[in-house]
Amino acid sequence: MQDTITSIINPADEKGNYIEGEALDQLKQYFQSGAIRVKAATLIGSSAASIIGKTVEKSLLYGDITLPGGNMYPTRRYAACLRDLTYFLRYATYAMLAADASILDERILTGLKDTYSSLGVPLEPTIQALQAMKDVVAERVGSEAGQEMGIYIDHIITGLG
Amino acid sequence: MSVVAKVIAQSDRANRFPGSAELTQLQDYFSNSSVRLSAAQKLAANQQKIVDEGSKRFWAQCPNTPSNRGDDKRTALCQRDQGWYIRLVSYCILAGNAKPLEDIGLDGMRDMYVSLQVPLANLRIAMGCLKEVAMGLLSSEEAALAGPYFDQLVRAF
Repeated sequence: MQDTITSIINPADEKGNYIEGEALDQLKQYFQSGAIRVKAATLIGSSAASIIGKTVEKSLLYGDITLPGGNMYPTRRYAACLRDLTYFLRYATYAMLAADASILDERILTGLKDTYSSLGVPLEPTIQALQAMKDVVAERVGSEAGQEMGIYIDHIITGLG
Repeated sequence: MSVVAKVIAQSDRANRFPGSAELTQLQDYFSNSSVRLSAAQKLAANQQKIVDEGSKRFWAQCPNTPSNRGDDKRTALCQRDQGWYIRLVSYCILAGNAKPLEDIGLDGMRDMYVSLQVPLANLRIAMGCLKEVAMGLLSSEEAALAGPYFDQLVRAF
């Protein structure tokens, strides 16, 4: 996987350069945001189950999807939905820590749409849940880190769209 | 790979969020980032000086070596490589782990120098001299970050 630091070092090495100029500024910026990222990852990791519970409550719980015939019925499918949302949250957190979305492409988005369509998982409610996840996460981690998480949750949404 | 990428990769392998020890490690990494930056920038600014002074010390200890036989082209090549190793150490300081050195400069290194007929034992002394000179230019905090990567470099030879 790629992260901000590696993606700055590798091209510099290709040219035999030290990290300087624009690359150095970019790295400094990342370093400055590091403490916020680590704090957000700590908060999200320690309350993931409750974030997911709240996310479902805000988006899917009261819709037809949880009723007989819906894709979150029976309980086995409800649990599968929780599991997938937890994956999304975990990988968005990785990407936020790295300040790089590539892990989402590699580990989540490749083939996801096909998998979901073959399983009959509807995309629209999935996206609705991800939208709600952004709000719930921002409530937990504050607006600055919430915005940063939003970038990567949006990346998943775009990948599903 | 950086310390951040490493934490993510090992969390991913175990299907979990980063653990508290890993998060503390990242916190420490970010909290001394200004020292990382200044150490890396000092190495960048002083590469030539470190190589020149390091070579003097190296040749004093080990006069019979390919870089000291009056073949300017060969000497330049050896010193160029030494400069590269300083650059890789600067990457490691910024990345917070030794992967840049390992992946770019150590994997296959022995085969290369054996093929070039450069004695590894001599290189080990040369790398030790680079370390000595570099350490002298860094503050104690910077040296504490850079030292382990130079040590790994010396050990690798």
